Amino acid sequence: MNATIIFILLITLMLTGMPISISLGLTVLSFLFFMTQVPIESVAMKLFTGIEKFEIMAIPFFILAGNFLTHGGVARRMIRFATSMVGHWHGGLGLAGVMACALFAAVSGSSPATVVAIGSILLPAMVKAGFPTRFGAGVITTSGALGILIPPSIVMVMYSVATNTSVGALFMAGVIPGIALASLLGATTWYRAWKNGYPRQPKAAWRERWTTFREAIWGLLLIVVVMGGIYSGIFTPTEAAAMSAVYAFFVAVFVYKDMTLAKVPKVLLDSASMSAMLLYIITNAVLFSFLITHENIPQAIAEFMVGGGLGVIGFLLMVNVLLLLAGNVMEPSSIVLIMAPILFPVAVKLGIDPVHFGILIVVNMEVGMCHPPVGLNLYVASGITKMGITELTVAVWPWLLTMLGFLMIVTYWPALSLWLPRTLGMIQ
Amino acid sequence: MLRVLDHLEEWLIAALMAAATVIIFVAVVHRYASSVAIPGVQDWLIKVNMSWAQELCIYMFVWMAKFGAAYGVRTGIHVGVDVLINRMKGRTRAGFVLFGLMAGALFTGIVGTLGATFVWEMAHTEQVSADLEMPMWIVYLAVPCGSYLMCFRFLQVAWQFFGTGELPHHDHGHVEGIEDMKSDDVIPVAVVPDLHPAEVLPKGSQEDGK
Repeated sequence: MNATIIFILLITLMLTGMPISISLGLTVLSFLFFMTQVPIESVAMKLFTGIEKFEIMAIPFFILAGNFLTHGGVARRMIRFATSMVGHWHGGLGLAGVMACALFAAVSGSSPATVVAIGSILLPAMVKAGFPTRFGAGVITTSGALGILIPPSIVMVMYSVATNTSVGALFMAGVIPGIALASLLGATTWYRAWKNGYPRQPKAAWRERWTTFREAIWGLLLIVVVMGGIYSGIFTPTEAAAMSAVYAFFVAVFVYKDMTLAKVPKVLLDSASMSAMLLYIITNAVLFSFLITHENIPQAIAEFMVGGGLGVIGFLLMVNVLLLLAGNVMEPSSIVLIMAPILFPVAVKLGIDPVHFGILIVVNMEVGMCHPPVGLNLYVASGITKMGITELTVAVWPWLLTMLGFLMIVTYWPALSLWLPRTLGMIQ
Repeated sequence: MLRVLDHLEEWLIAALMAAATVIIFVAVVHRYASSVAIPGVQDWLIKVNMSWAQELCIYMFVWMAKFGAAYGVRTGIHVGVDVLINRMKGRTRAGFVLFGLMAGALFTGIVGTLGATFVWEMAHTEQVSADLEMPMWIVYLAVPCGSYLMCFRFLQVAWQFFGTGELPHHDHGHVEGIEDMKSDDVIPVAVVPDLHPAEVLPKGSQEDGK
């Protein structure tokens, strides 16, 4: 009963369009005030302690690192490198788009920014080479979402904050699914290009590949700094994030020289306000998860699931449907922060591995970003391609279908995500 | 006066972001540098205690988060679910937007007041932080200050919306340095004759071959 009231209240407040953080906070305050005897002052304590964890501080650092490298110059280098590597295959520029998106998204950490950066440069070239606009738009919109699966990923940090799962293990677990999904999107691109006879680029000489690789490598080393640092135990995840921010600053200003020192305060301000927004959601989500734990909602759901005979397969299917629906209206970080505390205890009770569950949620978020009617990537892509949402929906469906298929694989084949962290001894 | 506040806010959060990054960077470098045996330097490095870095970083980010959230209201960065209200028109939509903004002001106002009471009580205790030994009430002062500022920003945006009907909007897909970039400079497009001419569809035919 109380659970119903809480969720109706939350959903109603959210639908009025107020910030998600505010609707979470107001739900908690009004429920505690009107329905329980819990003193409101005890909430105040939560507001202070909500974000006082060093692990959470990885988020601002990763955002800062990403913002230093979210630049047209970096996108250009990634596209050149990708084109020289795969451009001579069927649908060369499309394949290069998938690869460039994966690389840029991993480094910049933002899906919409990836769609804009890679899309604005690559799409005109694809149209000129004779690709239909739809094809290019489909490739870029879906591949742009790859970033949240390939580490470093802010959504994974969010999941680890909400469930106390190891960030390092999650990052490692994302590597193979990330590469697999990129390959599958590439395969879809290749197949459609081969079938429709889309043009290829001339094969690049090894010398050219080497030159473009040397240009792109500085940005890509960011991933190595983070992953290598965490795995070898040199840094904690938060320290790795801070180091990657310093590294990204160094590369952007002194190596690539895309950015002048005068632009740095602007990047700092933008990153600070983006991080503050996310940290504000975290604070209120902590408050919200305090409320649902206080009302024993996760336990009630778990008992209902286990008692109702809904096994692991049924539960995971339900989680996927629920998250895909949520992905239609909210952005990934908020979904993870709201849903993870509710679903995680149930998953644990059913014996699902926390890391596998995290990867499943992340892949789900990725699909949600390109899912009609309101995926964020669709909107951004519609802005740069001047196509309507309906037309884009038709354009993305082959890739979207691939992603949904992949989601099923990730859901029911835990070894895909767990093999690497297990082999490296990061989880049992 | 208001402009001074705006600048102070921007300056504060950007500076905190930079300072926290530098502090953690220095702490990590220090940890590894002090294990390298350089006569003289090593002794000095070991004497320098950097254990407070982590705690300071957390508090800096707490301050940054509270004031950054207020700045975010002014720039419209806070994400909400706008599926429903974007389908509405005119007065209904305006009503919902104003309701949302006022709810924001209400929530931050309540939190600010709760925080102020909390800090007031804490100021009468001797609580200090673990490593820095800084009085805790100074650390937590960020909550009332940031929340009241945020409340003020919500009212400011609501007033602006009431007058002009415009809301601040943040562009999540903004990327520096792509305006001046021509795709020709990046990849020279040269179409090679396809190896399977039989499969080339005639021009203008459907792309969708399924």
